[in-house]
Amino acid sequence: MAETVEDVHQLDPLELWEHARSFEFWFGSVQGYLEGSSYGRHPEVPEKVTDPGERDRLVTALCNYCVGETIALEGAGALIRVAPNRPSKVFLATQTVDEGRHLEVLVHRLLELGVRDPEAEIERRASPGLREFQRRHQELVRGEDWEAALFAQNVILEAMEFSVFHRHAQLADPRTREVLLGIVKDERRHIGFGENELGRLLTRHPAVRERLARVRRELDPLVMRSFEEAMRELGAPEAERSDLARSYLQAVERLGFA
Amino acid sequence: MTTDFLKGYDIQYWLESCPQGYLMDTEYGHRPGEKEPELVAQDPVLREQAVRTTVQLVLGERCALAASSGLINAAPDEASKRFLATQTLDEARHVEVFTRRLHDLGVKASELEDTLTSFANPHLVRFAETLLEVVDRKDFVAGVVGQNLVLEGMAFHVFEMMFAANQQANPKFAHTLSGTIADERRHVGFGENRIGGLIRQQPERKRDVERLQRDMSYHMLATFGAAFREGPRPDEVAERLRKAGVERSGQDSWQGVQLGEASPEELERVLGDTILKEFKLRLARVGLDYQTPLRPV
Repeated sequence: MAETVEDVHQLDPLELWEHARSFEFWFGSVQGYLEGSSYGRHPEVPEKVTDPGERDRLVTALCNYCVGETIALEGAGALIRVAPNRPSKVFLATQTVDEGRHLEVLVHRLLELGVRDPEAEIERRASPGLREFQRRHQELVRGEDWEAALFAQNVILEAMEFSVFHRHAQLADPRTREVLLGIVKDERRHIGFGENELGRLLTRHPAVRERLARVRRELDPLVMRSFEEAMRELGAPEAERSDLARSYLQAVERLGFA
Repeated sequence: MTTDFLKGYDIQYWLESCPQGYLMDTEYGHRPGEKEPELVAQDPVLREQAVRTTVQLVLGERCALAASSGLINAAPDEASKRFLATQTLDEARHVEVFTRRLHDLGVKASELEDTLTSFANPHLVRFAETLLEVVDRKDFVAGVVGQNLVLEGMAFHVFEMMFAANQQANPKFAHTLSGTIADERRHVGFGENRIGGLIRQQPERKRDVERLQRDMSYHMLATFGAAFREGPRPDEVAERLRKAGVERSGQDSWQGVQLGEASPEELERVLGDTILKEFKLRLARVGLDYQTPLRPV
């Protein structure tokens, strides 16, 4: 394939933006870390989750991640119609398949953990905070307001997932860790696109900033509530929860929304 | 079982068969370094014909991209959403490779939208409007019938015919088409499997979906008919090739017809016969009866 870059995550933001909006680039990006893996991990990684309590907490966390990835999948797909130009549509198509892959590998992990009907289990264990976030996120995306929807999708939602998955990967069993780290690599590409796209827009149209700040003021409490629920299920100590919130806030504030 | 057949359409399978399979070592869908034949670039009639054809491909794929991404939100189960995610990326890739071909044919980026507008077939535009109205209503059954069975099921045969016609004359374009055909085959397979089950579960939908098929089929068949009536006749193309010293190999045969020698009427007839025969069989497999368009094509 053409235009293969050794490690896309080392590119500076402008270069990333120039490259990132094509199928060719997407393929070169994911090929490195997906080749030889099956459902997001290498087949030889052993199963270490044997304790019933640990398994149950992990299942709850994964079910909520599946809700997050479904929000992301539906959002990325819907944004394609709203995107203002062809390269952005192509990038969002690559993001759509990334989100679909994330959902698939998480569902596969649930099956490995013995969950027989993942769809029913996800429905049963989904946290109310995340469901409320889903409802509001769908309204924003369906409102066809490109800037607000992209901000909610590629900055707020992706930064939220990035922070949770990155943190959880440090505590997780080997199989879950590999799955989560593969997802995190994609999230960085998605956040990079959102930051670049919105950053350029804000330079040209500073008035957009206030509209995005309103969206953030509305979504932040829902994000924090979802974090609280997710970390409580994982049994994380209070300090870890604060770190997670800080990590999310830092990711979002890079755009200048202090 | 819905879940069982969808196992064959998951993203892991897609990754292994498509980007890590038949698209490996390709560049915008063709082999690295392949170029459009010089004759196509130099002869204004042949170039315009290539641009006109490629414009319809870009517009059809743009419609498919908007429809498949829009249907993700309407899909009733998580596995279908994931399949549609792969289809969305397939369609975006098709938009990319056919747009790239327009640039290879000399259409500048600044001229792209005007070129698309000036060569767009009005029937294809109307088809896209009809399909996207269904998608906007979040009607999954009608949307998949329109997208995966009517649009892709019919276009599939056109791509095969174009592949046969270009295998010798334009390997770059033929290779681009072969990857697209492989994708379309997967999309049509999903459409047949998924819709068959849904029609059995919702028999009350049969009548209105058949009506939609009738209207959409009209626009698709009219698009193909217009493609043969516009642009240079095959004998004119043959004469230009002969004058340029290009020998026809006689291997550009499809469904028993020599594509380089057939008249537009013959081409339209064989394409129409093939499309309709296969299309009727496909609809029958999902439990729908083909409805003949009300207006003559």
